[in-house]
Parts: sequence; structure tokens; C-alpha cells
Amino acid sequence: MAFKWIGRPLPRQDAGGKVTGKTRFMSDLSFPGMLWGSVLRSRYPHALIKSIDTGEAARLPGVAAVLTHQDVPGLNGYGIVIQDQPVLCADKVRYMGDAVALVAAESKEIAAMALDLIRVEYEELPGVFNPEEAMQAKAPQVHASGNICRHTAVTHGDVEKAFASAEAIVENTYHTSCVMPAFLETEGGVAQIDDRGFITVWCGSHYPDRDVIQIARSLGLDKEKIRVIGNPVGGGFGGKDEITIQIHLALLALKTGRPVKIILNREESVVSGWKKHPMTIRMKTGAARDGTLVAHQVTIISDTGAYASLGGTILNSAVEHCSGPYRAPNAQVDGYCVYTNNSVSGAMRGFGVNQVTFAMETQMEILAEKLGMDRLAIRLKNGLQTGDKGPLGNEMITAMGPVQTLAAAGATDLWINRENYKANPSRPWKKRGVGLAAAIKGCGLGFRLPDYGTAVVELLPGGGFRLGVGCPEIGQGNSIAYAQMAAEVLGCHPDQVEVVTGDTAATPDSGTSTASRSVYVAGNAIIIAGKQMQQRLKEAVAEELGVPIEEVNLSEGLAAVGGKSISYAQLAEKILAGGAECSEMGRFHAPKAEKEIPGVYGLPHLVFGTHAHVVLLEVDTLTGQVDVLETVALPDAGRVINLQGLEGQSEGGTLMGMGYALTEEVVLEKGITKTLNFNNYIIPTAVDAPRVTTIPVEVMEQTGPFGAKGIGEAVCISITPAITNAIYDAVGVRITELPANLERVLAGLMNQGKTGISGHGRSISTS
Amino acid sequence: MEKISFILNGLSVELAVDPKARLVDVLREELDFTGTKEGCGQGECGACTVLLDGQAVNSCLVLVGQIKGRNVVTIEGLAKDGKLDPLQEAFIAEGAVQCGYCTPGMVLSAKALLMQNPLPSEQEIKEAIAGNLCRCTGYVKIVQAIKTAAASL
Repeated sequence: MAFKWIGRPLPRQDAGGKVTGKTRFMSDLSFPGMLWGSVLRSRYPHALIKSIDTGEAARLPGVAAVLTHQDVPGLNGYGIVIQDQPVLCADKVRYMGDAVALVAAESKEIAAMALDLIRVEYEELPGVFNPEEAMQAKAPQVHASGNICRHTAVTHGDVEKAFASAEAIVENTYHTSCVMPAFLETEGGVAQIDDRGFITVWCGSHYPDRDVIQIARSLGLDKEKIRVIGNPVGGGFGGKDEITIQIHLALLALKTGRPVKIILNREESVVSGWKKHPMTIRMKTGAARDGTLVAHQVTIISDTGAYASLGGTILNSAVEHCSGPYRAPNAQVDGYCVYTNNSVSGAMRGFGVNQVTFAMETQMEILAEKLGMDRLAIRLKNGLQTGDKGPLGNEMITAMGPVQTLAAAGATDLWINRENYKANPSRPWKKRGVGLAAAIKGCGLGFRLPDYGTAVVELLPGGGFRLGVGCPEIGQGNSIAYAQMAAEVLGCHPDQVEVVTGDTAATPDSGTSTASRSVYVAGNAIIIAGKQMQQRLKEAVAEELGVPIEEVNLSEGLAAVGGKSISYAQLAEKILAGGAECSEMGRFHAPKAEKEIPGVYGLPHLVFGTHAHVVLLEVDTLTGQVDVLETVALPDAGRVINLQGLEGQSEGGTLMGMGYALTEEVVLEKGITKTLNFNNYIIPTAVDAPRVTTIPVEVMEQTGPFGAKGIGEAVCISITPAITNAIYDAVGVRITELPANLERVLAGLMNQGKTGISGHGRSISTS
Repeated sequence: MEKISFILNGLSVELAVDPKARLVDVLREELDFTGTKEGCGQGECGACTVLLDGQAVNSCLVLVGQIKGRNVVTIEGLAKDGKLDPLQEAFIAEGAVQCGYCTPGMVLSAKALLMQNPLPSEQEIKEAIAGNLCRCTGYVKIVQAIKTAAASL
């Protein structure tokens, strides 16, 4: 089938505003009479609050309000799953980012002075900063309910028997680092209350409709009185999925009656904001002589920090994806999500899958080596295909792309001619390696949660359309994909589709912009709404011209019958005459698996995106520095809706996964964050960025819009083990702990005596 | 408070401000030029980049007292008579914009480069924008856009 708009690399509709500075992000907004809000954070990672004295702060001229837990009218707690995080701490603090009090003042400076005047008396408690220690019975308790937030244990098949039959068994422990979204726009926004007591909150968000629920619950107000506008967002990557400052903003507006603005500075954002879960993963994997995986045993300990947020769900996502893109017919998985007094971990692009895929894709390499097999061959042999069972026994009934993407990776010039690429490093003391890895990532919310997309298409005077979808535009480009899909169905140019997203008063609830889902669910809803609108237009034409509806053809903004045609503008004039409205709502419910995986709440997923990476890099044997030179990204997003957007996701995801592999780490010492800004939290710059060639592998998904599935997370997963595998290929250093920074790579080289320092390094330093 | 005059996007501006105020704050809060973004507050991310006498500078590290009589260009001043700068056109066409928060600073660093060096190499482009962090794009399309703009000049 030939498409008019699907697949075209059309420029984004929001790019013009963004290149001229006209786009107002939430932190750019100002209102007359606006106050500045500030948050008093905890002084200790774990302490009891004995008293809070706000008197002196409240008396400071220019201070409009000083609020504590006593001022929270509703539930003093939030959290997507468990509401265990206080809006303002009452009796205890559990991490350095905990909010203890709020100030609203006439200026930022006065607000800062007022924070200094709030007297909080603490009784410091021993903290627990290592999740394995936190699991011990006598460890300090972060919450009264105990330190284990979620334990998931699942067995499929007979693991013991399968290990006994294995030819090769590999057992390793992997550690992944704490990293952060590092969106360029920190958490910022404004809240305003009107004369009816209705509150509007402008704040970057992955899901404004859920923010409304959480704000209303804590303010003790009806949801109808709260409106959240959640985009445009200066980067999210999962870190704006949970509440950040929305409740604080709304509370200050409620108490002062004035507009209030909060912008966290970078340091406060780093201390208080959502991180990717650091995990310790023990993996034992057995394979038969021909490389077929037979047994897989995994223990995961995940540090969710002080509060749950999505920690339990992320653990389960890691459990579900524990064998990466491969079959594992017998599997036993034991996962723990554990509270500590570290920073808070929550949603971040990949949702638990980066960690286990890094481990699994390293296991595969070691198995291949033990069995004397080719690295690609062992992967192709085990790649999950439609009709296979996942490691937990769930059947893969949708379009699965591991084998196709891996085969495409194997067909790249970089892979085929890898020995040539490796042959001439830029310096004699540098060594080159080529690595490969693949990943799958479930699209959508899994088995339990309602998982729907909703779209409203409205005919506008002039013959264009307004398309409303709740899923916010967080920068990923879903809105141009929406416009293209709508235009395809409606028979108009995408420029004739005005896309509105992420505003609870203007867009229908369509779920989150997370979980690689927004194109999949909303795209399907757009097709439904678009077809209904198509029918409305055809009916109007049939009536106007007195022809059968079947003879009406819609395309290029014209309704044509035989030789006659009517423009959409003319049609709109007729349909909307006398102030009539013409809009159609489409709702799509994502299909679910037949049954839940026993013991794994909320799983499995049904639809999976796949991504493979091939990477060429160079290791400096004198310093341990790794330079990634070239990558090929092979996304299987099903049907490509916008090639430019897909490439943008692949390129950006590649770099984010490269940062995870090589440089990024939020360092905490006893709960105190040491990496507070971009001077020592190192995300890749343009100079570090490799060439990225994106080769889409379209494994069409029948349930997807035009065959599409989600890819926004898979793009950042396979690159990490592809890099660590390439390091091994280059210098024989096996990376089991992220990041593979200079110190770690150099230590690996020294352990094997391969560093240039003790060998020929000095003599070549003059070359 | 002190009276400070400077040229902003080609127009004379006179303000009574604390000379110790950061240029980024004066632009955003006094003048409502919010195209200039703040990402880190310490000169690491480049989101607040403006042109000061033709040089790209981090406006979070410039105090307004330092710019008396000098020439400041923000992203709002780059388009001339409603016509976008070739860099802006290229950023749109090449897909170099995602969330867009780094974009104003990125475009202005590229502008400073092209004013000095109209036909830069890929490496020169990368070095010119090395102080501008982008978390969305992987820089591939940004570098391409700058090349495209340079070629069109």
C-alpha cells in the first residue's frame, strides 16, 4: 500500500518556535503579581524531625507564605503506585531531596533568605545506603513497612535439570550505576488560582492527567478544579513522569492566592530528582554445545532509594526482560526492589531493561567465547521470534524483531569488514574493537493497567483540523507523527492538522508519554477518530451533491465525486454553519496478553520494539579512555511514521546509552550527592559523539498504527553492551560494572598487564 | 541599582539594574527575552549562550555591569525582517530540534562560528558547539544543520 504521508521525513511543526526562541517552556512563563517559590530540602539523608519553626521566616518582609506539612489540606503523600512520599515531611526525612517546607516570596532572593530562617530540629538516624545491607533484618528501616518494597520471584521450566544438561555455564555479577535523565530544562513551572478557586499548573510532565489526580488528592480538591498543562517540555526521559514540583506549586498558589513560580536550580534538581535504578544483577546462564540457551538464573537487587514511585514496576520490567532479546526455556528469577536513604530512583528511559540487557548481552559474549562460537551466530540462534515463549513462559504473539535486526546488523559493512576497521588505530598505543548487541523493550503498560489512547479530531473553519491527544510532546516528536497519521487518514496535508497535546482542559486523557507507547496507542486512536471524521465529511458531500456516499473520494483537502469536487474549506463552511461543531473521538484499547505471568504483577507486555547496535571504538591503553568512533543503529519500530524522527530517536538514544556505558554516574557518599552539576556528571558532548547511521528494520506490527510500534526506549539500550563488548574486543577487558570509565578500563588493563604504561608506552610517546 | 545601556538585538536598551545581576536573569526576567535558557547556572551546558560583540558567551557567567555599551544578540534577534537566519532554516529542515531547550544556545554558538569561519570542518563545528549540551539528538543532525547552513551562505 502506498502512503501519502506515512514514512516521510517531514520537519516538526514546533521547530520554528524553538529555533526563534518564541516557544515558551513552562519555566519561561510569567504572570502579573507572580511570587517565587522555593523548597527547603532535608539536611540529612535519614533523620527524625523534632520541630519546625517558621516564625522568623514568615516575618521577613516580602514573604507571602511559609508552608509545612500542617498546611497540606489533603493526603500528605504522593507516588504513582504507592503514595509513600510526603508532599512536605512531617516527622521524618529519608533522603537529602526530601521537601520539608515551602516559601513564596516577592523575589528569588527573599525566598532564599526565608529558607535560611526556617529552623528545623532534627535527630539524625543511622542511614542505609547499600541495598543488600538494607535487606538485612537489623538494618535501619527507611519505612515502617520494611526496606523491601517489592519482591518478585518466578520460575519457568526446570532450571536445575537444564543447568545439568548445559555444555557451558557462565556466572557473573553485574553492577549498574545510578544515572539521571539530565534533561536540559530542570523542573520548573507556574501555578495560578482564579476567582473560582480553580488552579492551573504549568509544569513539564509525562502525564498531566495523572498529575491532576495527585495534586487534587493532596490539596483535598475536586479534580475538576485542577488543570495541568504539561508541555512543551525541555526534556523528560522519564524523569518528569512522577510528581516533581506540581503539588508544591499548586499548594503555594492555593495558600497565597497569587501566581507562583518555582524553578529548581541544577543542583537541587540533581539532589531531589528521579534517577535510573542502580542494580546488582547475578546472572547464571547455561547453553548447549550448539549455543542454544537452556537455563537462566537471575537475581536482581534494585535500589529504589527513599521512595517507591515506580520502583516495583521497574523491577518487574527488569524481570520480564531478564534474557534480553533471547529465548531462555528454563528460567528462575528472584528480584528485590529495596528502599535505601540514597537518592530516589524512578522511571527513566529503558525502565529496568538497560540494566538486565547489559548483563545478558555480556553473558552471551562469554558463552560464545566458551563454546568457540561466532558472537553473531549465537545471538541469531537464540533470538526471540513470533510464536516463541519469553523466559517467563509468556508467548510472543506479536511481531518480534530480534532475528531480523541482528541479521541486518550482521549485514552492515562495519560488521562484515570489522577487521579492516580495527586494523589502523589512530595512535600506536590505541586499540580498536567492534561490538554488537540487541535489545527488546515492551511497548505500553503491560497486563494490568488500563492502556488506552484517545484522540479527538475537530473540523475547523477553513477546512483544517485540530487534533487533540493527551500524551504530551516531551521533545520526542510524537506530535509530527500524529499530524502525519491524521493527514493520511483525513486526506489532507499535515500542515492542515493542528496538534494539541498535554493539556487536561484541551486534550482527552490518552495515558502517558512513556513506555514507548504514545505513537502506538494514540496513533491507533487517531486512525479511529480520523475514519469517523472521514465518514462525516463524506456524508456531508453526499448530501450536498446528492450522490451515494461510496462514490465520495477524499484526498489532498478535496472531496471529489466523478468530475466535481468540493474543498474542505467549502465543506467546513457548510458543516459548521450556524455555529455547529464537528468533532470525532477515537479510543483505542491496547490488546493484552491472554493471562498474567504468575507471580509477576502486571506483566507481560504484548508488543515489543527491538533495537540492535554495531559499534566501532578505540581504547587508549595508556589512559583507559574509550572513544566511540562509529555506530550503526538498527531500530525495529515496525512501520516508520517519520524517518527523520526515528533517526533523531536512534541518534539521541545511542548517545544516552553511550553516556551510560562510559561516563555517567551520580556519585553518592552516604546519601550525599557528589556530582551536582555537569562539571562532574559527564554527559557526552558533540566532540564525543560518534557518527550514527540508522538503518530501520521494519517488522510490521499488525496491531500498530500502519504497522508501527514504539521505539523511544529500545534506542538507548543495546548501545551500552555493544560498547562494553567492543571494549573486550579491543583490549580483552570484560566490563561487568558501569560505567566503563577511565579508571575502570585502566584497572582492567593493569590486571592483565596489557597497559601501554608498563610495556612499550614510553618508547612510543614521542611518535 | 545603576543605569546600564547596551545594544540588544540592534536596539539601544537602558536599564536601572543591579550591575551584579547575571545577564541571563536580566534578559529573562527584566526584559522577558526567554529564548535564552538556563540549564546549569555554571557555564557547563551552554543553554544560556548569547552573542556578546559577536562572541558566543554563557550569559549565566556574565554580569550585566560587564556589558555596558556592548552589543548583545539573543536568539530573538537572529531572524532579520521576519526572515530566518540560514542556521535556523537548516535546524528546522535537518531535524536538529527535538525538545528545543538547547536549540537557542546551539544556534548562537553555531552563528559565532560561522561569522569567524564561514566554511568550518566537521571537527571545527563539533568543537564550536562542545560547550552546548544536548540530551535529545546525539548532535548528528545539529552538526549536519550547521554544515548545511554554512554551505548555503
